[in-house]
Amino acid sequence: MPTFNLKINNETHTVEADMDTPLLWVLRDQIDLVGTKFGCGIGQCGACTVHVDGNAMRSCLLQVSQAEGMNITTIEGLSEDGTHPVQEAWKEIDVPQCGYCQSGQIMTASAFLSKNPNPSDSQIRNAMHGNICRCASYNSIEEAVKVAADKLS
Amino acid sequence: MHKNKLNNSLNLKLDHVSNALKKSVKNIDSYTHVRGESLYVDDVIVRQGTFHAVVFDSPKAHGIIKSIDYSKAEALEGVERIFTCKDIPGKNEIGGIIHDEPLFAENEVHFWGMPIALIVAKTEFIARKARELIQIEIEELPVITTAKEAKVKGSFINAPRSFSLGDTEKAFSSCEYIFEGETFSNGQEHLYIEAQGAYSEPLENGNIKITSSTQGPTSVQKTIANVLGIAMHKIEVDVTRLGGGFGGKEDQATPWAVMAALATYYLNKSVKLILNRHDDLRMTGKRHPYESTYKIGLSKDLKILAYQVEFLQNSGAAADLSPAIAERTLFHATNSYYVPNVLSKVLSCKTNLPPNTAFRGFGGPQGMFVIESAIAKAASKIGVSARQIQETNLLNENDTFSYGQIAKKVEAKNTWNSAKDIFDIDALEDEIEYFNKNNATFKKGLALMPITFGISFTNTSMNHARALVHIYLDGSIGISTAAVEMGQGVNTKIMQIAAQVFSVSLDKIKIETTNTTRVANTSPSAASSTADLNGKSTLMACNSLLERLKKVASENLNVLEENIKLKDEFVYINDEKSNLSWTELISKAMFNRVALTENAHYATPEIHFDKTKEKGHPFAYHVYGTAIFTTTVDCIRGTYEFDSVKIVHDYGKSMSEGIDLGQVEGALVQGIGWMTMEEIAYNSNGKLLSNALSTYKVPDVFSVPKSIEVIPVETDGNDMAILKSKAVGEPPLMYGIGAYFAIQNAIKAFNPNYKVKFHAPMTPEKVLMSLYSE
Repeated sequence: MPTFNLKINNETHTVEADMDTPLLWVLRDQIDLVGTKFGCGIGQCGACTVHVDGNAMRSCLLQVSQAEGMNITTIEGLSEDGTHPVQEAWKEIDVPQCGYCQSGQIMTASAFLSKNPNPSDSQIRNAMHGNICRCASYNSIEEAVKVAADKLS
Repeated sequence: MHKNKLNNSLNLKLDHVSNALKKSVKNIDSYTHVRGESLYVDDVIVRQGTFHAVVFDSPKAHGIIKSIDYSKAEALEGVERIFTCKDIPGKNEIGGIIHDEPLFAENEVHFWGMPIALIVAKTEFIARKARELIQIEIEELPVITTAKEAKVKGSFINAPRSFSLGDTEKAFSSCEYIFEGETFSNGQEHLYIEAQGAYSEPLENGNIKITSSTQGPTSVQKTIANVLGIAMHKIEVDVTRLGGGFGGKEDQATPWAVMAALATYYLNKSVKLILNRHDDLRMTGKRHPYESTYKIGLSKDLKILAYQVEFLQNSGAAADLSPAIAERTLFHATNSYYVPNVLSKVLSCKTNLPPNTAFRGFGGPQGMFVIESAIAKAASKIGVSARQIQETNLLNENDTFSYGQIAKKVEAKNTWNSAKDIFDIDALEDEIEYFNKNNATFKKGLALMPITFGISFTNTSMNHARALVHIYLDGSIGISTAAVEMGQGVNTKIMQIAAQVFSVSLDKIKIETTNTTRVANTSPSAASSTADLNGKSTLMACNSLLERLKKVASENLNVLEENIKLKDEFVYINDEKSNLSWTELISKAMFNRVALTENAHYATPEIHFDKTKEKGHPFAYHVYGTAIFTTTVDCIRGTYEFDSVKIVHDYGKSMSEGIDLGQVEGALVQGIGWMTMEEIAYNSNGKLLSNALSTYKVPDVFSVPKSIEVIPVETDGNDMAILKSKAVGEPPLMYGIGAYFAIQNAIKAFNPNYKVKFHAPMTPEKVLMSLYSE
């Protein structure tokens, strides 16, 4: 089995895996970063979203071999102490219900805001529409993205 | 914006609730949720050498198993063992209400996705690979996929049920208008983002511990004991939280836990079984599709005098919870209306779909959709607006439901009239009329949707819960109840109750996992009743402890008990702060050998139901509300969006405003999804076609109404609800039915020839066809 050096949350991890193993399973099963969730396995729900070189990507679709050499950030590494402005906004608006999709929501929102810190409502919806929340906390998510944008600016 | 509005109007009415309650309305899990630290079953740290399991399921919907060859799968390196029905030491039986469902198929398969075997291997990947190597030969039998077909063939789960009030036959003869029709509402996939799963560990002496993503820990425990042929006390079921349930994990979380336990039983090893999304969608049941026929009779002044309805419930291949769901359809067949003569009948039709199951609303929404359809049809035939018929027939105080309960503290008219006033319905209608006159390719539609939903398990014996409260010697508190946290915020509410009784800060309180060794014989977390039942038992336990502590304080401070109060972690005498703190008080209680643990049992009083007469008083209370929908349909594309949903909702006196608003919004959007976009498709062979998130569309951020406003109706609350704060999980889902009728009205504005159809969901495809139908 090939070996890969992955840079995750500013630490280097050496893992053995098949070339086409989704990054999600490496994160969860080998590096014990279980904050990133499995939802659908086909990139349609967003629960597995991580940052790859600052871009929000679906870790269920990204093969471990493609992730080598890139800067990967998971929810655990978004901030040292859980005080990233998006996390703070999420708590303030009290977004989560069951919580399961929220890591993915937060990773999508934080990558988006880092590129567009002053978004319009429709830009927010465009950025967030690939992340499914079955509890339908969408109004709160939208509100929290706006609050986070204020915090960032 | 919407949140502030609610807060402002609620703040005025929350004076009776302590500051602790007001401050603590945020979900207590928010902190770990936003850091990715909340643990779900797939996240628990597993023991070394844990095996992983995958289910081998039927590739046909109905047939006789001629042969199965496991040899290649068994020979694959890393495969530990394959379990089948032959390995079951107890009973191959998992049916909760009716014993008609095996864990593993024996000689026949009854639905596509029916479990046949469990493959246990070193990794999930190996188990999956092994699954592909299993060869099965099935002699196919005829497949039934629709309820109508099942009825024709006489294929039923159980005997039909029927409720009646008055004399429909006589009443119809005096009606000015009589209309008949058919309706269809499709199923709905739960799509909890956390799929089904369980983790099983061996303990000493053949005992097994299961971590399960279940709404019903006791049914998991009972079923494992039954399948393994061992006593219930040998099985411990533990639940931290669920990544969504919505009813889909009330009964159908059980088989996976049982399979994992079966493997642990034989292998004496930990076993993890987490369904992937495709397996979950294929193997589990959904909301029941209903095909219904109705006959509605009205007087000249639009009073509904008689209503007759037959519901055909597509139950799937086994009973599961279908009989209970069918019953609730009858309970809600007349929604918020008083109809003096009702004859309603439901047939649970056995088909070759996966057993359909509980889903938020539990058969109620299906019942309500039919009467709303009947009213819409009557309105269009008579030439009045549906709103006039709805309004004319709303429930009054002391009206009788068809099941015999007398309606009390009715808020049907209050929420209806409040919604019309607060949101200025006349202005809204004028606005829409003006818009429709001036737009050729976009049309707007409006609809009102009242709801009345009964709170309690309709099976009276299930309405109970227990709480176990420990105060530790440092003054911290641990609470165990039967409640399962799945996003509905029940743990937060329970914490608020204890914080209020003891007047301690929230960080002194911990809500423990739901565990069958601490709280036994639980009812599932379902029927919107979890906070009421478990909250009331928590309140009882805390109050008992409080009395005991007051006695300790009175003895120590030498004052009368009635002059003592606990406030902000100090003992107060006649409202004056004493030097005795909460932690010191607990130390003194310990020293005096006072019990600091209390277990309380709550059983809802006053409720009863006699199934032989189909009459009684099954509900502790009802939740009421009215929603006003406005939608805009793009008449070129057939797409639509909801401009606004304006709701006046009966929260009672909300104890956790943010949580309750989240429940209303979430249920509403789920209801809109059911009525508009979520389309489950099986082919005629019984194979699920909408078998992935790419082929099954659920609401995303674009599907949410552009504005949702929720105003609480002014009421005294209801003492049967916890702290007068009414159940909120399910009722608002049924507001979503308004979405269907708002779209219909927009279509009519574009196409006057359109003959209204009652066939949900109203997908953009159907809208487009309707816009241009002759």
